[in-house]
Amino acid sequence: MGDAQVIHANATSKYSVLKRFPRICLHIDSFDFYLHVGRRFKSDTKPKNKVDFRRASEEPPGRLHLPFPTPPPTIRAQVLSSDVWRRNRTSTPGKFATSFTTPPTTRKRTAAEAAIDNEPLPAAQGHRTATSHRSRKTDSAPTATSDTTERPGSASSVSRKKGFLGTPASTTASMDSDDDFMSDVSSDGFLGTQGSDNESLGEDFGDLDTGFSDDKDLIRDKRKPYEVEFKVLDPPDIDQEQNTQVDEVCAVLGLPPESAAILLRFGRWNKEKLIESYMDHPEETLEDAGLGTDFEGYAKTEVVPGFMCDICCEEGDDLETYAMRCGHRFCVDCYRHYLGQKIKEEGEAARIQCPGNGCTRIVDSKSMDLLVTKDLNERYCELLTRTYVDDKENLKWCPAPNCKYAIDCGVRTRDLRRVVPTVRCFCKHEFCFGCTLADHQPTPCTLVKMWLQKCEDDSETANWISANTKECPRCNSTIEKNGGCNHMTCRKCKHEFCWMCMGLWSEHGTSWYNCNRYEEKSGSDARSAQAKSRSFLERYLHYYNRYANHEQSAKLDKDLYLKTEKKMTSLQSQSGLSWIEVQFLDTASQALQQCRQTLKWTYAFAFYLARNNLTEIFEDNQKDLEMAVESLSEMFEKPVSELAGLKVDILDKTAYCNKRRVILLSDTAENLKNGKISPVV
Amino acid sequence: MSLCQNRLQEERKQWRRDHPFGFVAKPTRTAQGGLDLKTWECAIPGKTGTLWEGGLFKMKVVFPDEYPTKPPKCKFDPALFHPNVYPSGTVCLSILNEEEDWRPAITIKQILLGIQDLLDDPNPESPAQADAYNLFKKDRPAYERKVRQVVRENQPN
Repeated sequence: MGDAQVIHANATSKYSVLKRFPRICLHIDSFDFYLHVGRRFKSDTKPKNKVDFRRASEEPPGRLHLPFPTPPPTIRAQVLSSDVWRRNRTSTPGKFATSFTTPPTTRKRTAAEAAIDNEPLPAAQGHRTATSHRSRKTDSAPTATSDTTERPGSASSVSRKKGFLGTPASTTASMDSDDDFMSDVSSDGFLGTQGSDNESLGEDFGDLDTGFSDDKDLIRDKRKPYEVEFKVLDPPDIDQEQNTQVDEVCAVLGLPPESAAILLRFGRWNKEKLIESYMDHPEETLEDAGLGTDFEGYAKTEVVPGFMCDICCEEGDDLETYAMRCGHRFCVDCYRHYLGQKIKEEGEAARIQCPGNGCTRIVDSKSMDLLVTKDLNERYCELLTRTYVDDKENLKWCPAPNCKYAIDCGVRTRDLRRVVPTVRCFCKHEFCFGCTLADHQPTPCTLVKMWLQKCEDDSETANWISANTKECPRCNSTIEKNGGCNHMTCRKCKHEFCWMCMGLWSEHGTSWYNCNRYEEKSGSDARSAQAKSRSFLERYLHYYNRYANHEQSAKLDKDLYLKTEKKMTSLQSQSGLSWIEVQFLDTASQALQQCRQTLKWTYAFAFYLARNNLTEIFEDNQKDLEMAVESLSEMFEKPVSELAGLKVDILDKTAYCNKRRVILLSDTAENLKNGKISPVV
Repeated sequence: MSLCQNRLQEERKQWRRDHPFGFVAKPTRTAQGGLDLKTWECAIPGKTGTLWEGGLFKMKVVFPDEYPTKPPKCKFDPALFHPNVYPSGTVCLSILNEEEDWRPAITIKQILLGIQDLLDDPNPESPAQADAYNLFKKDRPAYERKVRQVVRENQPN
């Protein structure tokens, strides 16, 4: 009972700490991350209290009135651990009672944790477990104290941090408590648009946090900053949605459902606008939509004596005929034939008009039911559903081959500059809702389009130009020297220069055709101008080569995996691992694919970024991910016989790669959303 | 008999019973001397009171097997100087396009009258040949001179 109260006290104190030093306290254990912290400070313009108010207000009121500043350190120590217990409901307290002091080598730790991540912690793994969940109870006390006392500024916390590395016990403890911090912060902060720094830092920590499966789930449940809300719709769901709207319009306007459906399709499912326009000019709206004003009579076929069909010119007193309310009467066979042609051959459904010359009346679903065969009618309904999805801005079909699902996502076209709405269909295909290309996080659609265009036009040409040509020092025309001497005369501007030193030819004096004059001014000026113009090209090639490399590597990794998969059976027999145990390779392969996909696009993105602190952070994150991916890829290439021994390492790296990817994407998405990163186009 | 043949037979009957003054429409003869109902030779007179008055413009109308589900192809022979006639002579008109306004109930009479209307009332939104279109848009007097010349060249015998 006392425990619960204490937890609250602790929660408040944590937030109070956060309030004053939102960043420093979160970043004590990893020097690697510390670098980022420093940079964030530089670029950060947001008033820090803002975050903290939000944090405080998100706390249940019961917690807010608690004493401030923090309670005595001893209480906090207990609190921290009980807090952990509270969230780690899974295991028994006894397991963590033993304290281990492990130096803060985070990689190792992640490895162990990743391995046990989803396992129920059997007794045999007790040691590993204990290692990863180090000494909470005993060691958190000193940290808590230092957390509250040492807040003078970032500089001192640097030195402090370094100092801590010397005393493993307390460092470890501080790490743990910070982990707890972070899982709290990250789990409740994702939806906010403010406080991006804190949240992305939260992600930083998330990656050290794999020990707590519960914490991880908490993070997973919430949307990450780069994720968007969306819904996958089954064709029946879509029909349902259509029918609901048709029913609504029926009720409001008092029209029969098939007419209301035509009206809605005409108005591209914009109900409000449609109803308004109908209220203002009912006749015109109905006419424009291809509906008459009279709704009398049932759809039925008739035999009309003395009738001749205008299409087939058949006549006969037993001829079945049909006419919609427009009165254009044709024989049922011709009508059917016409509808069949429209539906099957032309794929038309929503705007099939009466076969009569010049008549704009739309054939409604009731006539369709009456006239066409069952399979044609099914096709008709399918086509109608298709136009429904095409008409609605918030719906898109999954572009995967033979996929029947549609995605409902609220991201509008105008938002696409600042969000990258990646959605995942039930068929597992991940694509961008904005442009329906395959997932291209973190690069916004506009840049993707420009980049692809550029690559299509430029990459090979640019490579060749770079390798084989120089530019005229005067007019910058690109020149290929295809033979002859070094005396060049530009075709365009008639400038005469030396191909070797790029200097004026006239300065070459009498030593024609033999350039040994490197130091001359005109030559070096021309060369530096040339270098400048080349540097743009070089820059592009830098990004392009890396982009292309990841694309290629992803393919190779995949091939390798497919080969490995075959060998996995042999691995099972060699190593005595069961099928389920060798699935780590599958996981690793998927992570590799995904991370390479992301890396690929980070290069396209970076090409359009201006140089500033945020770009540097971005590139650091990119570098971290890239290094991790490359080393995972390397492990992946090891012979099958060694793979079993590398299992823990591979699991570790896989987890690490995934985390780094999340960090990179979250950070970028936040900055993009807040307009802090704006690509130079 | 197929729908296509049946309908064309009937079209021919209707045409012989009654057709607008000055127009010509008749199925061609095959090499064996039989009727080829799927290829018609037609002629359209310029409307009175317009630039095109006095001309008679010959046209070939070819009906596809899917007629009347699909529209016939109408081709001036020789090709005609007109913004909506392709250099090949094919007429560009919405009622002759199955994806636009073609309906199975449209008769040959309606087609020919529609093309006659098009002569003096070109649709600059869908140009089909550059010469006539450019003159029509940029130099109306020159366009009209050229039309008069075309009319002189296409007199009824």
